Amino acid sequence: MSPNETGAARSENQLLTTFYVGDDFFGIEVMKVQEVTGAPKVIPVPLAPGFVSGLINLRGQLATAVGLRELFGISNAHESEKMTVVCRMDGNLVSLVVDEIGDVVEVDGRGFELPPDTMPVVVKRFVKGIYKLNGTLLSVLDLDKVSQELSPQLDVNNSHNQIK
Amino acid sequence: MSISNEELEEFKTESLELLEVAEKSLLSLDQGAEFKTAFDAIFRGFHNLKGASGMMDMQELQSHTHQLENILMPFKDKSSMPKSYISFFLRGIDAARSILNNEKINFDFSIPEEGLSQAEQTITSDSTVKEVATKGETLEAANESKQDLIPDDKKPHESQSVLDEYTAECDEILDRVSLQLRNFEAEKYTKENVDDVYRDIHSLKGASYLFDFTLVGDIAHAMESAMECIRHGTHKPSLTMIRALYKAVECIEIEVHAIKEKTSHVQTKIIAPIIIEELLSASRHLEIVNLIDTAKQQSESAVQSDVQQKENESAGSIRVPVVLLDNLMTLMGEMVLVRNQVMQFSSQSEDLEFLNLSKRLNSVTSDIQGQMMKTRMQPIGNILGKFHRVVRDLSHDLKKNINLTLNGSETELDKSLLEAIKDPLTHIIRNSCDHGIETPEVRKLSGKGEAGTINVKSYHEGGQVVIEINDDGKGLHRDVLIKKAIEKGLLNQTEATSLSDKDAFNLIFAPGFSTAAAITNVSGRGVGMDVVRTNIEKIGGNVELQSVAGKGTTTKIKIPLTLAIVPALIVRCGQDAFAIPQAKLEELVRIDSSSVESKIEYLHGSPVYRLRGNILPLVDLNKILGRENKKDSDVGVTNIAILNAENCSFGLIVDEVQDTADIVVKPLNRLLKSLQVYSGATILGDGSIALILDVMGISKIAGIGSEKNQTLTMDAMANGRSLAELQEYLIVRLNSPTKHAIVLGYVNRLEEFKKSNFEMSGLQKVIRYGKSILPIISVSQLLGYGQENQPSDKETVPVVVIQKAGMFYGLEVDAIVDTLSTEAEVSPTLVAQTGIFGNLNTPEELIVLIDPFELIQKAFPTSAVDPISKTGIAQSDPVNMNPNIPARQAIHEVKILLVEDTLFFRRAIRSELEKVGHQVAVVNDGKEALELLEKNPAQFDLVISDIEMPRMNGYDLAKSLRQNNKLSHLPLLALSSRADQKSTHQGIQSGFDMYLEKLQPPILLNAVSRLTDGQRRVS
Repeated sequence: MSPNETGAARSENQLLTTFYVGDDFFGIEVMKVQEVTGAPKVIPVPLAPGFVSGLINLRGQLATAVGLRELFGISNAHESEKMTVVCRMDGNLVSLVVDEIGDVVEVDGRGFELPPDTMPVVVKRFVKGIYKLNGTLLSVLDLDKVSQELSPQLDVNNSHNQIK
Repeated sequence: MSISNEELEEFKTESLELLEVAEKSLLSLDQGAEFKTAFDAIFRGFHNLKGASGMMDMQELQSHTHQLENILMPFKDKSSMPKSYISFFLRGIDAARSILNNEKINFDFSIPEEGLSQAEQTITSDSTVKEVATKGETLEAANESKQDLIPDDKKPHESQSVLDEYTAECDEILDRVSLQLRNFEAEKYTKENVDDVYRDIHSLKGASYLFDFTLVGDIAHAMESAMECIRHGTHKPSLTMIRALYKAVECIEIEVHAIKEKTSHVQTKIIAPIIIEELLSASRHLEIVNLIDTAKQQSESAVQSDVQQKENESAGSIRVPVVLLDNLMTLMGEMVLVRNQVMQFSSQSEDLEFLNLSKRLNSVTSDIQGQMMKTRMQPIGNILGKFHRVVRDLSHDLKKNINLTLNGSETELDKSLLEAIKDPLTHIIRNSCDHGIETPEVRKLSGKGEAGTINVKSYHEGGQVVIEINDDGKGLHRDVLIKKAIEKGLLNQTEATSLSDKDAFNLIFAPGFSTAAAITNVSGRGVGMDVVRTNIEKIGGNVELQSVAGKGTTTKIKIPLTLAIVPALIVRCGQDAFAIPQAKLEELVRIDSSSVESKIEYLHGSPVYRLRGNILPLVDLNKILGRENKKDSDVGVTNIAILNAENCSFGLIVDEVQDTADIVVKPLNRLLKSLQVYSGATILGDGSIALILDVMGISKIAGIGSEKNQTLTMDAMANGRSLAELQEYLIVRLNSPTKHAIVLGYVNRLEEFKKSNFEMSGLQKVIRYGKSILPIISVSQLLGYGQENQPSDKETVPVVVIQKAGMFYGLEVDAIVDTLSTEAEVSPTLVAQTGIFGNLNTPEELIVLIDPFELIQKAFPTSAVDPISKTGIAQSDPVNMNPNIPARQAIHEVKILLVEDTLFFRRAIRSELEKVGHQVAVVNDGKEALELLEKNPAQFDLVISDIEMPRMNGYDLAKSLRQNNKLSHLPLLALSSRADQKSTHQGIQSGFDMYLEKLQPPILLNAVSRLTDGQRRVS
């Protein structure tokens, strides 16, 4: 992983884990991905926001499943077998529910560009930038932004939770 | 010069060997090995390394070893080496190793000198040491050009983990030493005891010098020397000696703490030499005895020392980071899951060998699980032991004679919990010493032994650990506590009389109760007991207190065994499983819908259940979770888990109660936590996930235990039982299955009007009533029950006439049923609803209590707001009296005395006032008020009084107060249900500043702030 990972202009090559959400092609830095799993059993959490699909038992660890379709506001057209990309954010495991897993792609830092203004805002919020590949465009997901979405400012009066 | 990798490796290995030899020799020197041989070995090591590194072109290492060699040289002809030098060289060796590993180092070639030489000189008369010390000085001079002598002996680049280990070990040693010193004090010394202490101090000394904490080392050294003759069995430790040893331990404790915090403690530097001096002088004046004489004692204490031996058993233990244990626990959980799956699979298999294997796997896994749980457990004695010191010091300071006995120190508890209860326990024990146990003189007078006893007992009970702290001191005096509580405004007179002993003693846990110094002096217990309770409750425990005046006090703390694993009830709601922590669960109720007597009743739409005569609000988990309740509620059974959230209970309706289980709590991310419904999640035995319900959060969402409700409930609990006050109600029927009631005192008249006589004034139904026009309000409609449900053939309509603000209003009801005289409690509404005051819980049924004034207010939002106050102030400024401007937030807190004989109003008015932060004390009638005010003329800012009261009515009270010099300044506010011109006039004549009609909260609150504002301006 390049030490300059957040910088917009990267000259080094990078490896990205890629996946599809709807028709769009996304990528996450390989080093940030813990694993990719097939359709696990998701236990829904009532009252949770729509993009939180639920909780997943990942070999004894709890992971929060985040539906990227829901997060990006892409309509749930086809209910296929979903895959999840598991990342660690802020010490918590987060499973990103995606439609399909792509290859690990090596990208050239020179192909990097900031997301275009025309990108829908709901998606653009979570996109660091895009890479121009042969025949397709790859959007790089900004995990920090996703993590922020999962850590709202806590209410002060929530400190009564007895079980830590 | 090129050096091959191979050569380099070889050089490294050899260098490490050389260093190791030098290190070994240094250590042997520390343990008193023959000097010459050791010295030669060290010297050789450094010298050879210097040469080798020069060959390998490693200049840094070469110069480093060269320096070391130089410093070592002067010792060539000596016969010993000071400790500080030994540790210096050890550091030097470590640094050399770091260089070999290509690590950057920042080695400090100065040698701590001052403390050492002083200590060594004063402590021993050993000439060699002195010689070395002087030699050290010359040496220092020789190296002066290169070295900066730093006075502080802390080594900046000591790695944190090593330091942690050092401080942890120091703590352990100090604990053990304190414990043994206590034995010495009780004249229980055996050879083993003394040797233990000596050994401990010795290793403390060694470790401290090794880490260059010379201050600690010096003190330890002095302790060691002081104990020398005791150890040889020729002398008996004197009291001065033990005291000096204690002081030394204390000083080291402070210093070690400072090391932990990475600060330096100035005080220790000053007192250290004094302590050292004390130790030595004490050792010089020792009584000469032969320890063999004490052989008898030896056998006596043999049993005890055996026990201690066990406690102190640390030989076979190693330190492991807690994180590692946590990880192991997680893996353990996974393993259990796999085991479960294998077991499930094997149950379908017929392969015998596989069955056998899986059975073995099952039992082994269970064993591992059990053992894993134990790894985090520590005996409670680890912290209880420290209290010997606390008690000893305190009894000394307080000039009391106190013994501390410990029972069940071997009871085991999770380490994190152990840490958490340490402070609360210390607090309780300090309190017992300070306020519980009397001075020897007092004890003698009251016929007790001079020495007080504090007994700490810990044991397992029902999956919890119980710690009982019992003292045989003077105990708590119920009356004193209550008196203080009343003074503090935590209780009122009437509440106080009905208080149970248990509740009275638990007053000391109330926040605010303890802060006043006077209380500490009078009642005994004091500062910060609320903090104790908060801390205990934070870890899911609870604390209660029992006391017999004159006999002593027992504080009982109950805490769960561990935080990581929580016993819980698994329930099911729809498809999902949820866990409810057992600590929050009171009981389970199963209601069969076919049974007649126990059923769920509905009060304006919200379900309640009558549990042994008390109304229990019910919350449907499905509703909380925002789901449709698909289940038909008429058939089958309803499961209710009765849960406890702070002070109020409620029933949670769940679809299915499954099982109890010990669950491992997994934290949720913040987003899910912020929903307030879940406090965590857990993985169940079958691998599925259950969310852990946050009982507090759910009660909050359901609106149970909100502020108003709580005050009312608590008032009701305190008042209701003892007062046995009858309140009269008018029972009416509305378009609702439940009966409704109006406080009879509100009712002006009951009328029966012909339907044909109703007329319409605009959209308002009215009837001509005498000379005036009476607006008619339909109660059923206003409460949302729909149209009246009267038989159409009936020609008349029953109407309840209510007077409000000098106007009459007619409340149309379906039927007037009866009047009811009952002492039943009024419990607050479960859902705040305009026009409903609360529920009347009679033994036969539930009756909804209507608030007619609120209803009228709702029906006529504008016309009903006229203030009834007839004073100039109120009318001259109508804006401020407008109730639409909420006077909810009290700008300042006012201490109010409420004089009111009716239970119902008392609660209502009080809760209104308290809601905005005023302090309210309540008395029953004018006479009581006058007595209280005469006793405490300065305690109240305002008196609010009813007019009609037994013994002394409001007019007379006002007159008496105005005649009393001390009390004439008090603002007086009359609050009456009779607010016509005549009585208002009479009220103002009697001396009231303002005269208001009852139960108009905004007006009342405005008046309160006006009256007290005015007063402040005057004063």
